[in-house]
Amino acid sequence: MTRRQRVVAAVALIVLAGVPLSAYLKLGSRVGARTVTLQWRDFPARYFVTDAGVDGVSAQQFQTAIARAFSTWEAVETANLSTEFAGFTAATPRVGDSISVLGFLGRSDQSRTLAATSFFIDTVDGRILESDIYFNTTFGWSTSESGTSGRFDLESIAVHEIGHFFGLSHSALGETELLSGGRRVIAAESVMFPIAFSAGNTADRTLKPDDIAGLSDIYGTSAFSRQFGSISGRVTKNGTGVIGAHVIAFNPRTTRLVGGFTLTSDGGFVIAGLDPGPYVLRVEPLDDGDIESFFDSSFGVDVDFNVKFHERIVVVPRGGGTSNIQIRVTPK
Amino acid sequence: MSLARGVAATVRHAACVGALGGTLGMMAADAQIRSPPQRPIGPTPRAGSWEIGGGPAFVGGYDLGSASADLSRNSTTDTNPFTLFVTDSNVTPAWSPFGRVAYYVSPKLAVEGGVRFGRPVYQIDLSGDAESAPDVVAEETLDQYLFDASVVWHFSRPPASRSRIVPFVYGGAGYLRELHEAQELVETGIEYHAGAGIKYWFGNAPRRFGFRGDGGLSVRDGGFDFDEGLRIVPVAGVSLVFLF
Repeated sequence: MTRRQRVVAAVALIVLAGVPLSAYLKLGSRVGARTVTLQWRDFPARYFVTDAGVDGVSAQQFQTAIARAFSTWEAVETANLSTEFAGFTAATPRVGDSISVLGFLGRSDQSRTLAATSFFIDTVDGRILESDIYFNTTFGWSTSESGTSGRFDLESIAVHEIGHFFGLSHSALGETELLSGGRRVIAAESVMFPIAFSAGNTADRTLKPDDIAGLSDIYGTSAFSRQFGSISGRVTKNGTGVIGAHVIAFNPRTTRLVGGFTLTSDGGFVIAGLDPGPYVLRVEPLDDGDIESFFDSSFGVDVDFNVKFHERIVVVPRGGGTSNIQIRVTPK
Repeated sequence: MSLARGVAATVRHAACVGALGGTLGMMAADAQIRSPPQRPIGPTPRAGSWEIGGGPAFVGGYDLGSASADLSRNSTTDTNPFTLFVTDSNVTPAWSPFGRVAYYVSPKLAVEGGVRFGRPVYQIDLSGDAESAPDVVAEETLDQYLFDASVVWHFSRPPASRSRIVPFVYGGAGYLRELHEAQELVETGIEYHAGAGIKYWFGNAPRRFGFRGDGGLSVRDGGFDFDEGLRIVPVAGVSLVFLF
């Protein structure tokens, strides 16, 4: 094997994606000073399903829900990707066995993790060679069409994890409240928000504009490149770039929300996958989730600034970008 | 001579009444009966005349409505969205210079074409932020071009009339082209318009200046809007015109 390969343990080791750094977050892996974006390059991406069920969900029901979740992402018209169910397997979701497996796994040591995705990648070009997803049997699961009270909807959680499977990281389009023992999500507008809706909620079976923009940014069709645009600029505080600021773009004509982050030391951000038209921009600190859910702990995220609207309307052209947007925030 | 002045005075008075009350045709006929045929010397342009003009127009603004940035609530029972913030959008009125050229097919009927350029401001009021971001009015300036053509019907005076006021009605259609700030996004549409006005001529010479004032409604299909339907804005303009 001439190319170096390494395991990237999914969510816990997310680092920044390569240029262009866009809406939501794309998974990436840092190789020396270089960052490569994680993405599948060979389609269909084949996956196996562990031939084992849990209380309330048989292996067949599990596979059916997983297939629906994959179909949800594959149905995005502005992205080119496909998957193939390769069959049931006795293997468990374990990275490094050269097959992508989705299945249940008992992880009582991960008492706050519903599910997780891991990768085996080519670190030269970020090509995903294998991706495995486990669903933690510590929790109760359901595949009921309308959801089951007290049990997490497997399809909803699968849609989120499959977003990781395709190379997306977390979105910050959500609001949370602190409770004893952790955070509770009040509302979110992205399947890729890191904190799941409550047990019984099936809302995350449906992708939101932020998710679609993210997927299309990685696997976009030629039509996507022609028909959608981007906004880029800088967020600064006292003349210095703000790192890790969450920038939201809202189109009052379509009411679509897409979020992005400042990812460079000068406070640079890019939000791609936007419908042409006018947008308002809102900047907020990343305070609705554990920062480690989004960035490596060494990233130096700045949360010491006030929420702010940009004073100018920003217009996104078709197939192009609006750049040099300057947003100045003030310390708290 | 004094009779002639008297007739002219009568007709001028009648014209004013006619413009307002619709009796012009009757009074004009009366004047023709009492006046001998003569060379047209009134304010009515001859067929084949041209008219050019230009001036400012006031183009009304329009409301684009409210929209909220909503998040899906984490609840299986409360389906109301969580509103992150609210927007209220509008396009302001604007003074828009225009130029126009008309050709008189007949003394009463003219066809004209023109171009108008305006710079209305698109405003979005941002308020009600869930995390207390200060309210802001975000803005951008639109470049708005209208290329239009109209048919103009003049309620022309009898040839002997010395009235300098000519009422008219007009209607037509145009091509609307609106560019957002930085001119990176163009929105186009069709415009239909109709209205009425008056022309006041300075003298009766074949070549003369005049003043035109008109007002009406502009109906837009397309261009910058949030809805697919038609929108109507009032338009009023004044211009200096030259007949030749």
